[in-house]
Amino acid sequence: MTTALLEVANVSRRFGSVRALQDASLTVERNSITALIGPNGSGKTTMFNVITGYLPADSGTIRFDGHDVTRAKPAILYRRGLSRTFQQARVFGHLTVQENLVVAGGFSVAQLFGRRVGRQDRERAAALLVEFRLSHVADLYASELSYGQRKLLEFAAVLMSQPKLVMLDEPTAGVNPVMIETMEQHIRQLHASGITFLIVEHDMNFVMRLCDPVVVLDQGHEIFTGAPDAVQSNPAVLDAYLGA
Amino acid sequence: MRSVRGIGQARAAVFFAVLAMLPAFNLAHWVLNMLVFTLMYAVMASAWNLLGGFAGYPSLGHAAFFGVGAYAVTLWFQHHGIHSGYEPFFLLPVIGIGAAIVGLPIAAIAMRTRSDVFAIVTITLLFVAQTLAFNLRSITGGAQGASIAIPPFSAATFERPFYDVLLVLLAVAMGLTWASMRSKVGLSLAAVRADEDKAAGIGVRVQAVKLLAFCVSVGLTAMVGAVWAYYVGFIYPQFAIDPLITIAIVLMTFLGGRATLWGPVIGAFILELAQQYFAYSLGGSQYYLIAYALVFLVVMLLMPRGIVPSIQERLRHRRRRRVVDAPTSTGGAAQPVRAEAASMTRRPFTPVPYAEGDRA
Repeated sequence: MTTALLEVANVSRRFGSVRALQDASLTVERNSITALIGPNGSGKTTMFNVITGYLPADSGTIRFDGHDVTRAKPAILYRRGLSRTFQQARVFGHLTVQENLVVAGGFSVAQLFGRRVGRQDRERAAALLVEFRLSHVADLYASELSYGQRKLLEFAAVLMSQPKLVMLDEPTAGVNPVMIETMEQHIRQLHASGITFLIVEHDMNFVMRLCDPVVVLDQGHEIFTGAPDAVQSNPAVLDAYLGA
Repeated sequence: MRSVRGIGQARAAVFFAVLAMLPAFNLAHWVLNMLVFTLMYAVMASAWNLLGGFAGYPSLGHAAFFGVGAYAVTLWFQHHGIHSGYEPFFLLPVIGIGAAIVGLPIAAIAMRTRSDVFAIVTITLLFVAQTLAFNLRSITGGAQGASIAIPPFSAATFERPFYDVLLVLLAVAMGLTWASMRSKVGLSLAAVRADEDKAAGIGVRVQAVKLLAFCVSVGLTAMVGAVWAYYVGFIYPQFAIDPLITIAIVLMTFLGGRATLWGPVIGAFILELAQQYFAYSLGGSQYYLIAYALVFLVVMLLMPRGIVPSIQERLRHRRRRRVVDAPTSTGGAAQPVRAEAASMTRRPFTPVPYAEGDRA
């Protein structure tokens, strides 16, 4: 098991004349918290979408957990243990908080005919609800939660299937400082329990505290990979951010 | 929670008991005829709701499957003798399953598109089916139409068998709806309807539940088409595959409330009875169409999300107020929290226009 959990090699993707990703590569080692940073428009979200199968890559290969998943659909990747959240916390507003967790349980087709929320589902969800301190809102509709709570809920939901790699797209954007700390704690705890993270984030303090290594993307290509303190002094990175 | 469920079942029992007893009151033929058509539309609206309501795929092509059922039963009995008047009814399950199988590849292709594009793809399907019915003359008889043997039922109780069969179909349609709402099929469909891409990304069996909803929906619709053909005895392409049928069942479902158990049924009873009544009372002039449209407009102005969701919301409001007003004497420290939670529950605001309805 020496191979990395996720290996993205020379991936390109264009939208019309815009080259969102150009020959970009990135590796996520097992049990790391890897950060993916870069200025706006550098291709971070496109990279997420390509990895998770929401967008096909024009070229390049993606391997996850030893399998080639370059053309895999999101549903298949989820069952393989790769799950993600979205920049704009996407939860199902007209389902309850509990149902939002249950629906992410990764059921087989046969299981679809079981109870909407069975006892086992409730137990599985309850553990996460306690962990994320959402038990008191379990029966509310997700549309009734605050934005920060929705982010937590979306995060909790992708853990329902015991993923190997969780990809978080800006977990702290638009969230109050207390919630940022909560989010950080959850990531640390889950990391300690063996889950690998790949995180897109603009909050540099958050990245510096939490992540190692850091991958910097600029104009669709990775320009630096290394320890967080090395990033701050790297001239190429400074150039990309400050646009000298 | 349990008592609420009990009320729901009692409501259904009373509803079906009353409908089952109605013909015993020696109703006039025109009234029974009206009820037969109302039941037809109630079944079809319930069937459409599985796809257009719960899955969020607004099909405008359901009349094509109505026609498939109508032609299937007609053509079958052109080549096989009818030995008893009930024989065509025994064929219904076969027709339903057959239509579902025919629907499967169609669904697999059409459901690659969504919302408005899906509506256009399916309405195209309707016109393709109608054109085929007109032009495959050696099979369908083309514009000349096709006839099925006249049912050997006594004139005095002619409508009864049709009425009873449709009532069973309505029970089946509503039973399937209820079962799906209580199972993970319903949960998955709700996720698909709200955000299909997100649903796929968290392992929801998107494709399976979509295809299931489509096939069950069109299978039920085809069975109604078969009953209709046997009832009217003579079918033409423009009536067997009629866009107005599609439009009627869509309007009924919107009126009653999408993604609810009772919405489509209530919608069908209001709109179909209104249409029939106005057609009789306003005579051969086309005024009845205006009156019919007015009923729809007035209800939609007062209850834009449909009747059932609007009523549910109002009840919820009242319950909430009661919870908040109640003195918090019963519990300890936990009580205010629960009251607050309850007051937040089922707040009317929601980004999905017909949300929350699927717990009716």
